[in-house]
Amino acid sequence: MRKSWIRLVVVLAALAFAAACICQPQVVKPPEEVAKVAPPAEKKVQEEVVVAKKPAEVKEAEVMEAPMKEVPSPLEDIFFAFDDYSLTDAAKSTLDKNAALMKNNPDAKVRIEGNCDERGTNEYNMALGERRANSGKKYLIKLGIKESQLSTVSYGEEKPFCTENSEECWAKNRRDHFVIAK
Amino acid sequence: MKPQRDMVKRVLKIVFLLAIALIVSARAETAGAKIYIDIHSPSARKLPIAIAPFKNLGTTPDKENISSQLNNVLTQDLEISGLFQIIDPKSYIENPQTAGITSDKINWSDWSTIGAEALVKGGFSLDGKVLMLEGRLFDVVQGKFIAGKRYYGKVDDFPLMVHKLVNEIIYQLTGEQSIFETRIAFVSTITGTKEIYLMDVDGENRQRITAHRSICLSPAWSPDGKKLVFTSYKKGNPDLYLKDIIYGSEKVISQEKGLNISPVFSPDGKRIALTLSVEDGNSELFLIDLEGHKLDRLTTDWGADVSPTFSPDGKRIAFVSDRSGSPQIYVLDVENKNVKRLTFEGNYNATPEWSPRGDKIAFSRMAGNKFDIYIMDADGNNVQRLTTQGSNEDPSWSPNGRYIAFSSNREGGKKVYIMLANGSNQRRVTSGKGDDTSPVWSPTTGEK
Repeated sequence: MRKSWIRLVVVLAALAFAAACICQPQVVKPPEEVAKVAPPAEKKVQEEVVVAKKPAEVKEAEVMEAPMKEVPSPLEDIFFAFDDYSLTDAAKSTLDKNAALMKNNPDAKVRIEGNCDERGTNEYNMALGERRANSGKKYLIKLGIKESQLSTVSYGEEKPFCTENSEECWAKNRRDHFVIAK
Repeated sequence: MKPQRDMVKRVLKIVFLLAIALIVSARAETAGAKIYIDIHSPSARKLPIAIAPFKNLGTTPDKENISSQLNNVLTQDLEISGLFQIIDPKSYIENPQTAGITSDKINWSDWSTIGAEALVKGGFSLDGKVLMLEGRLFDVVQGKFIAGKRYYGKVDDFPLMVHKLVNEIIYQLTGEQSIFETRIAFVSTITGTKEIYLMDVDGENRQRITAHRSICLSPAWSPDGKKLVFTSYKKGNPDLYLKDIIYGSEKVISQEKGLNISPVFSPDGKRIALTLSVEDGNSELFLIDLEGHKLDRLTTDWGADVSPTFSPDGKRIAFVSDRSGSPQIYVLDVENKNVKRLTFEGNYNATPEWSPRGDKIAFSRMAGNKFDIYIMDADGNNVQRLTTQGSNEDPSWSPNGRYIAFSSNREGGKKVYIMLANGSNQRRVTSGKGDDTSPVWSPTTGEK
């Protein structure tokens, strides 16, 4: 009789304990931590095999296309105002001179390279350089130069003539550069 | 008498078991992880954390001092995350020789006295070229184990193993996937010409992936992280290249006359938005497929349109246009091509980058001949300036939208930096020779 009474008391105590636990707000551990003996649970750390994925090595012996050789050119640069691609009067008179030289050498192919100063973003400057190159080209065509003699490319701010951080240098970089392409 | 006793015994047993079941289930049901670091709070407090030296758990002696190398990478990653205040190791009380790495062998007051609230402990063992790395994270305040991971790999790959461990630590404390398995592609002039490189977010593991000896620009990742698209003058014209990163193969996919620039992949990975030239030298946005076939023309105005960036749902594109007279940021609807202007302050707003979370757009604004990084809501409201020192361009979001990488010349010469998306914790990532620009963060966050 006594034994079962003791048992009953134990059970009631357990129930009371359970009730107390359910009622109190808890900061509760993640489910796998419920097992009350902590160290053995800690042994169950997740395992992972790590394999690094490396990009392919760069092949050094690539066959390169020979870059177009730049022949020293008697054609002069023309310059532009900041964020502008319209032709100034000075630019137009330089283009007149260039056109005369080109008419005397109708077989020479000319590449018009549009450039910008370093201010502004690389991408917007590529677009601006493209417009500058095309401005020069359109004017030359109006003067009678054959379109097949001309090509354009924009270098944006990527191929500056000078690299100083000054108004003077920036003005020199805002240009169309004329290259005789072989 | 006997049957009565048996009955009582049985009933008591059942009741007792029920009681235990109730306790167990009550605790399990209210299981929700404690919030250690609330990432969403605008002024999140840094969590004080201690990093115990890694123990050599094996028999091979640590001749290369792997223990401190592991610790260095781990500490640096936690610093880069901007989420932690790392307790000075000089103040550690615990004797590393005798201390263990499981909670039954940790004296919590050794750590709480010096101010730590979280603790990282771990061990490693070497077996020829194989390294086993084990890391365990503890809650010092409650005196308990939070989580642990064990990694196996080549010794040389130990940084990747530590990066994975850091990701796990941050996941356990914030509930979010962090950045330490991601990579950053960028352009550098170290070799004398602009080539494209990859690196880890701590600046290590730098690898050159182009050898054009020309001008490589504007890399952009495919959504699966396996390809890069970029512009190169290798053939004398700014053409568009697509490169497989793992196999190294490369091909020109767009070589239209004029520009093939500022590419970006659509979120579904099947299309690329970029700028192409049209008659008369104007620049317009187009969509092409991965073979370079034109799928759609997105803009038709007299302004120059460059630098597209997709919204995460792929339905809108933010871009730069000077159609109003100066470069500003606009948004277009990919389907009906309607355009809305987003920026109205300042007269040069460019390089928009849509956050992978969809809510913000980072961009750069030029004022007084220098750039700074700003963010704004996707509708153009709430413009916030994030940088002030030096000139700062080319923002790029981490895939979890919590960090921004950018290029800055604040220390002389352009280098890649990263910062938290609220502008705090600005840290330089690259060093050495060359100008480092156009950082772009890889899209994948690693497995979870």
